[in-house]
Amino acid sequence: MGKSTKSFGLLSAALLSFSLVLGGCGGGNGNGNAADSGGGSEKPVELIWYTIGTPQKDVDTVMEKVSEYTKEKINATVKMKMIDWGDYQQKMQVLVASGEPMDIIFTSAGGFDYVQNARKGAFLQIDDLLQKYGKGIIDTIDPAFLSGSKVDGHNYGIPANKELPQQDVWRFNKNLLDKYNLDISNVRSLESLEPLLKTIKEKEPNVTPFGLDKNHVPTVPYDFLITNMPMAVKLDTTDYKVVNILETDEMKKALQTMHKYYKAGYISPEAATVGSTNDLTKSGNWLVDRAQTQPLAENLWAAAYGYPVVSTPASDPIITNASVQGSIMAISANSEHPEKAMEFLNLLNTDPVLRNMVDSGIEGVHYEKIGENRIRNLEAAKNYDMPSYSLGNNMILYLNENDPDDKWEQFKAFNAKGVPSPILGFNFDSTKVAAEMAAIQNVKEQYWSSLMTGTVDPDEYLPIAIEKFKAAGLDKVIAEAQAQLDAWVAENKK
Amino acid sequence: MAGSFFRNLIRNRAMLLMVLPGAVWFLFFSYMPLIGTIAAFKEYRFSRQGFWYSLTHSKNVGWDNFKYLFNTDAAYTITRNTLLYNIAFIFLGLVFSVALAIILSEIVNKRMAKLYQTGMFLPYFLSWVIVGYFAFSFLSMDRGLLNHTLESFGIDSIQWYNEPKYWPFILIFVSLWKSAGYSSVVYLASIMGIDKSLYEAAMIDGANKWQQIRNITLPLLKPIIIIMTLLAVGRIFYADFGLFYNVPRDSGTLYSVTNVIDTYVYRGLKTTGEIGMSTAAGLYQSVVGFILVLVSNFIVRKIDKDSALF
Repeated sequence: MGKSTKSFGLLSAALLSFSLVLGGCGGGNGNGNAADSGGGSEKPVELIWYTIGTPQKDVDTVMEKVSEYTKEKINATVKMKMIDWGDYQQKMQVLVASGEPMDIIFTSAGGFDYVQNARKGAFLQIDDLLQKYGKGIIDTIDPAFLSGSKVDGHNYGIPANKELPQQDVWRFNKNLLDKYNLDISNVRSLESLEPLLKTIKEKEPNVTPFGLDKNHVPTVPYDFLITNMPMAVKLDTTDYKVVNILETDEMKKALQTMHKYYKAGYISPEAATVGSTNDLTKSGNWLVDRAQTQPLAENLWAAAYGYPVVSTPASDPIITNASVQGSIMAISANSEHPEKAMEFLNLLNTDPVLRNMVDSGIEGVHYEKIGENRIRNLEAAKNYDMPSYSLGNNMILYLNENDPDDKWEQFKAFNAKGVPSPILGFNFDSTKVAAEMAAIQNVKEQYWSSLMTGTVDPDEYLPIAIEKFKAAGLDKVIAEAQAQLDAWVAENKK
Repeated sequence: MAGSFFRNLIRNRAMLLMVLPGAVWFLFFSYMPLIGTIAAFKEYRFSRQGFWYSLTHSKNVGWDNFKYLFNTDAAYTITRNTLLYNIAFIFLGLVFSVALAIILSEIVNKRMAKLYQTGMFLPYFLSWVIVGYFAFSFLSMDRGLLNHTLESFGIDSIQWYNEPKYWPFILIFVSLWKSAGYSSVVYLASIMGIDKSLYEAAMIDGANKWQQIRNITLPLLKPIIIIMTLLAVGRIFYADFGLFYNVPRDSGTLYSVTNVIDTYVYRGLKTTGEIGMSTAAGLYQSVVGFILVLVSNFIVRKIDKDSALF
């Protein structure tokens, strides 16, 4: 924090001075422009688009092409500003807080948090705009995306149409499965892994049987109100009761199993402190780990690791807030052209020409077509290598060389299988209990990883952790969450 | 009056011009942000009209933003850890860096002295993330150097990242290793500035090395030692985030001895991201640091008027 508070201080100083200097002219400008865009067919408006990802060399070149296209279609040009993965959260916070001009903002549950920033007023409420200029979006993308991304009953952004539910799977290193002729057809629960782990532990002393990192949380049939905070609601709930996940029987049993595995040496002693299992997956010295899946995921993993990976479900596919809010484009609250921004988003999510240009660049420069909707990357593609998930509707993207023909059908089938979480669309507002949340967060950081990875004995530490959570004010937070949830249920469920 | 002011301005224009960049820098980066501290009493919300408007029009919440710093039993732990570690760093850092500076200044072979100095200087430029991995290569529980050594002597390996009792020593050691070389440079520079004839006179009078150090070097270093210490005291409520977060690898079981104000604030706010609450923590640290500087300067002035900062 030392470093970031300091740089925040510096930045706010700079911002403050700018806003003081510019304060006078700013007010007048806004009115003038609003009038312009109302009248206007003459001058195209420029939309400023902030998105996540490593800045690419050819962004400006591609955006010139994109602008030519959008100028014709909706009389707007596009200026894209990319901010690198690790910086996105912090830089956007400062840019938005300072009132930097921007029209379209990438946001998600993970980068520049969607719900919180919607509540803090960073994004424009788009209920009406969506009805007026976003018809194409409403018709195209899965309706669960739009209903699941509502904050306090309103839409603040357009989620990207992609895989909708989240489903945990057990991933296996196929080389080891084949070597010892292990059968995974009966694997589903955490307990069912035991015979496989035992075999590998005995026969391959250099392999970590169960790959885990500090972010691991055992699969339990609950949906968390805030990712990995102890407040949760059971998936098959009928009374919508918010509980402390540590006090549930399912979690207790899972933690006991994890601790048994830890003691048996199936889990690395470092599990509670390592941030990722990259070392294991790179070296291939693992048997099983848990991951979230999507259609064709096994191919992606195999391609990334260089050896075959197979998976089998560990949970049902559930549509949760986190899965719906994985990638959203919002319109900035200070946008001067909100209507144009919405028109652009509508076009981006429905028009394959525009969407693929944004995704893959210029035909003949960055890619070439090898089929009706199939492309191959050219040498220059490395100068325009964009993250597809963050830039709008995925289902209208061209297929890559090795994709199966029915790729997007598989996605649609996967989405259709998804079961909505009972609290899909409910977003807990922690403002009233902010002080307790800060304390709870610290307790969580203290006990969470070592419990979840089985590093410590739950019989001894679970009661201590529960006690500390209570002392930090978890009961008050749960009571507040329950009140909000009850109100939400009364309004939204029948 | 005004006339003499302008005459003064013109007479000292060269000096004033030299001060100008620094003064402007302070104005922009130290004084103007002070206005931003009102965010500590606000529930900050964005608005279309920019930062200044958002700041002044956000809801007033009084002291609510400060509550989370004090309302749990963690408050005691983080305050104790922050203070005790910093006191240890200030005291041991002073002893080690002054000792290093004196030893370096006594090395006759200047080429070797430069070499040692560079070697001790180097860790200062490493980022804490890298230092964290250095420590990890020693302390890793299944592949670390220390545990391997222990095992080869037939001693049980130690779960370093789960055992709080070792960490005060590890943290102090790592911090000294990283910073002592750098801070010794200041002392080395002032030792170099000491008039050599003082030592010659002492040698003629028959003083040995130890007597020279005690009666010449240390007394002449006293003003700079006091200034450096006073400056350090002002930051006693700021913990080095990198040290306390990266070196223990954010291991939860170690929090009782590694959680300090800065890590507490970071962990507490990383999900909610309330600007008001992080500003409140910064304000609290600055105010306490300011009071401590005033008090310690007051004490120094009582004892030795010439050594005080102001």
